[in-house]
Amino acid sequence: MSAPGGIYVHIPFCLTRCGYCDFNAYAGLEGLRPRYLAALFREADLAAPAWVGTEFVSVFLGGGTPTTMEPADLRALLSHLRERFEMVPDTEVTIEANPDTVTEASLSRLLEAGFARLSIGAQSFDPAVLRSLERIHQPTSVRAAVAAARRAGFPNLSLDLIYGANGESLGSWRRTLDETLALGPEHVSAYALTIEPATALGRQVAAGQVPGPDPDLQADMFLLACEVLGDAGYAHYEISNWARPGFECVHNLGYWERRPYVGLGAGAHAYRDDVRWWNVRPPETYMEKVESGELPIGGSESLDPSDAYLEEVFLKLRILQGVPASWFDAGRYEPYLQSGLLVDDFGQLVPTERGMLLLNELVLGLTAG
Amino acid sequence: MSTEIFRIRNFCIVAHIDHGKSTLADRMLELTHTVDQRAMRAQYLDRMDLERERGITIKAQAVRLLHEGYELNLIDTPGHVDFTYEVSRSLAACEGAILLVDAAQGLEAQTLANYHLARDAGLTIVPAINKIDLPAAEPEQRAEELARLLGADPAEILHVSAKTGEGVDDVLKAVIDRVPHPGGDLHAPLQALIFDSAFDTYRGVITYIRVKQGTLPSNAKIKMLATHVTSEAEETGVMAPEATPVDSLGPGEVGYLVTGLKDVHHAKVGDTITLAGKQGAAVPLPGYREPKPMVWSGLYPADGNDYSALREALDRLKLSDSALVYEPETSQALGFGFRVGFLGLLHMDIVRERLEREFDLQLISTAPNVEFHVFRGAEEIVVHNPAEMPPGGDYDRVEEPVIYATIITPATYLGAIFELCQARRGEMVDMEYLTPERVEVHYLLPLAEVVFDFFDQLKSKTRGFASLDYEPWGLQEAKLVRVDILLHGEPVDAFSSVVHRDKAYEYGKKMTERLKELIPRQLFDVAIQASIGSKVIARETVKAKRKDVLAKCYGGDITRKRKLLETQKKGKERMRRVGKVDVPQDAFIAALRVDEGAKKK
Ligand SMILES: Nc1nc2c(ncn2[C@@H]2O[C@H](COP(=O)(O)OP(=O)(O)OP(=O)(O)O)[C@@H](O)[C@H]2O)c(=O)[nH]1
Ligand code: SF4
Ligand SMILES: [Mg+2]
Repeated sequence: MSAPGGIYVHIPFCLTRCGYCDFNAYAGLEGLRPRYLAALFREADLAAPAWVGTEFVSVFLGGGTPTTMEPADLRALLSHLRERFEMVPDTEVTIEANPDTVTEASLSRLLEAGFARLSIGAQSFDPAVLRSLERIHQPTSVRAAVAAARRAGFPNLSLDLIYGANGESLGSWRRTLDETLALGPEHVSAYALTIEPATALGRQVAAGQVPGPDPDLQADMFLLACEVLGDAGYAHYEISNWARPGFECVHNLGYWERRPYVGLGAGAHAYRDDVRWWNVRPPETYMEKVESGELPIGGSESLDPSDAYLEEVFLKLRILQGVPASWFDAGRYEPYLQSGLLVDDFGQLVPTERGMLLLNELVLGLTAG
Repeated sequence: MSTEIFRIRNFCIVAHIDHGKSTLADRMLELTHTVDQRAMRAQYLDRMDLERERGITIKAQAVRLLHEGYELNLIDTPGHVDFTYEVSRSLAACEGAILLVDAAQGLEAQTLANYHLARDAGLTIVPAINKIDLPAAEPEQRAEELARLLGADPAEILHVSAKTGEGVDDVLKAVIDRVPHPGGDLHAPLQALIFDSAFDTYRGVITYIRVKQGTLPSNAKIKMLATHVTSEAEETGVMAPEATPVDSLGPGEVGYLVTGLKDVHHAKVGDTITLAGKQGAAVPLPGYREPKPMVWSGLYPADGNDYSALREALDRLKLSDSALVYEPETSQALGFGFRVGFLGLLHMDIVRERLEREFDLQLISTAPNVEFHVFRGAEEIVVHNPAEMPPGGDYDRVEEPVIYATIITPATYLGAIFELCQARRGEMVDMEYLTPERVEVHYLLPLAEVVFDFFDQLKSKTRGFASLDYEPWGLQEAKLVRVDILLHGEPVDAFSSVVHRDKAYEYGKKMTERLKELIPRQLFDVAIQASIGSKVIARETVKAKRKDVLAKCYGGDITRKRKLLETQKKGKERMRRVGKVDVPQDAFIAALRVDEGAKKK
């Protein structure tokens, strides 16, 4: 039996385009939704035969903003996926949502349809930070969305946060963390803002109009998150992810544990047995290919042993499982043990919090040569 | 049959940079139908990619034009001061020179310099005002100034627009009428001067020559008078404008010779070619004075395995760039490489870029420096690498090269120029008003103060109106000290520099500040110190880095994350490990452009 798999479905529609975002997401393409939905159905039909024999443990609707689609359509999509792919009974089904795209009514229908895990793009509770990120929602809409989800009965909520935006102080970040805890989510993701060159924000930073994030401040923010979330009983299980025990995200763990996954939708990635392939990115091209009965593959790569090794080391260190010390010459990792970036946990090298902040260094240092 | 000698004219075009030499050559190529209209492009003779990208001529180019029964051998020359040597060599192949002056700019420093060179070489000058089509042109006034310089009648000065073609016909006519035809006995023993050379992978060494006397048939057995090497030549020809074989080259003619030689050291620019055996000449023509390098820099292969490839490339390049000199050297920080001498910073940039492009090399260069003469008792040591400068107290005195600078400027900027030259330890020699508004000033200045950013400073302080030319003058004692740079406590030889004692602190401060910007944060604090001997004069710290991690890794696109890591890994591999510290290769050169003038022109 092969390892359990995950299904990722990409919904590329958003209400507006945020300045920092380099995802495959588009504002103003709502008109394509019905056609896009049909294409997803069709792609699932085309892709499924190759996955016979794989048991799936998670489905993840990401974006973009999946909740820009009608709950009824999403329900139909999920049941179509259940018909085409073999899923275990307690499959984790996650949907990403942005605060202003959900109501108690729509959330009830999603829950009823089987989406039991809701990941809300809160980002911050500081209005200035939300503005600087060009997010259109207010802190109040995050609180409203969480309250609506709880009323609708969602048992598993995750909040996404971003830290280090222009103008955010350590104090503001602490308030965001406190506000997050006050809402009692089962899961929290906290990402350091990264400036991607091919974004509006990236260009502003390059042009010197907006200062880029201060890495030292972001380091302090990370350590603060570790402290605050840890004290509140959340387990740090991946560099940017914390969960109450038992609420770790099964789907995302699949990527990091290098388990197989199917990717459906524009630009989605799939992986199995050291081969990764991905769909064409523009929604229009994606739909045309699928409509002509073709798998919409845009590219692929076969990991050679050294690629696979690099991924293994880098991902295992990310999820704090660590990597066996026996993989490396002692001379490679001993300096990191001495400088307190790694600890030796019964033969596993695991990054400390300071080590997590320097993970790239660790990976490159361990695998150099 | 070669052309009768009285129907030959050999001339070059000389001028200040950008006054339109190559564009005038374009019009001549067109007017004489030498280049097909369809093949024509602007600055046709600027053939190198680098010349086209930078819009300047780097190498002199010879081309044959046929016009009204005359054979006109034209050489287009570069205007930049670094390439004055190219001009001198071209002059030796000519009887006449067109001296161009931009009708808007007027006389400039290289106008004077090139005029003096042409006059001293005994050439007939054909003066012309160019760019008369420009709205800002003042041709009459410029002609008067030029006439005064030449001691000529303003009526002799031609007016042209190399852009529109106006007056170009008259220039050719003047060349035919005024420039004497070459001399030289057809039957005398062959003497042909090599004024340029190139290396072709398939054909070997190609020389560009001017026949002074005798005849050079195709496929002759030839001899080089300086190196005494003989060879079976493969082809004679002329550039028209592409290589075109001819049966023979007679006295006065300019053309090329595929020598049959494969070793680049055997055909030196300035050598004389004759025929092998009894019929050959015994006496060489006066050659060229070897050009003197003005600046030196260490060139190292980024990949240590490329050392011999770099040697080979330098040998090859030397053949088409006889001004290039180099000697092997070793650096603790950079490994095996060469100390290379250049005519100036532009020359240095060009050589480096040619080595990288034409020979597919990745190079690290150290900051340029001038040479120093260290005297100890009766001993004189010439230092080309600052790291080799003995420590203070270990010698009697140091002398540095001094240049004689000619600056031409509108009188309004004189104050700014005095101030600049003063700050650069200059000593005024004299000053002369060319016109009531335009002044020619002469200064003696330490070369080290001029060669790096002086020109930029001059331009910015005079809003681009002043121009500069300089020539070597001699040596002069100076209070110089060696400033070393230490990273994390270890001296880095490639960062050592020799500077004037009074400027050492300022230099040390700027240098450590600059390096602080260039050296990426590492896992530990890195101290950057500048020192004279054991005395630290400046210090900066690159704080340890705290964050280097990809924030987000989900959505399945692990490929991209891995690629980011691989890119980072490559970046790390490209760094030089100096002691414990990773130093980017750029730091070795960029650091030394300490004055924010760090310019790429
Ligand atoms: N308006 C106008 N522009 C001209 C004329 N002649 C040349 N130019 C322009 O002046 C610039 C320099 O011309 P070049 O022919 O490259 O000058 P150059 O003297 O060969 O320059 P170097 O070889 O670098 O010394 C170019 O932009 C030309 O187009 C002219 O008669 N009129
Ligand atoms: S809502 Fe999310 S996916 Fe859409 S543009 Fe903003 S950041 Fe990107
Ligand atoms: Mg030119």
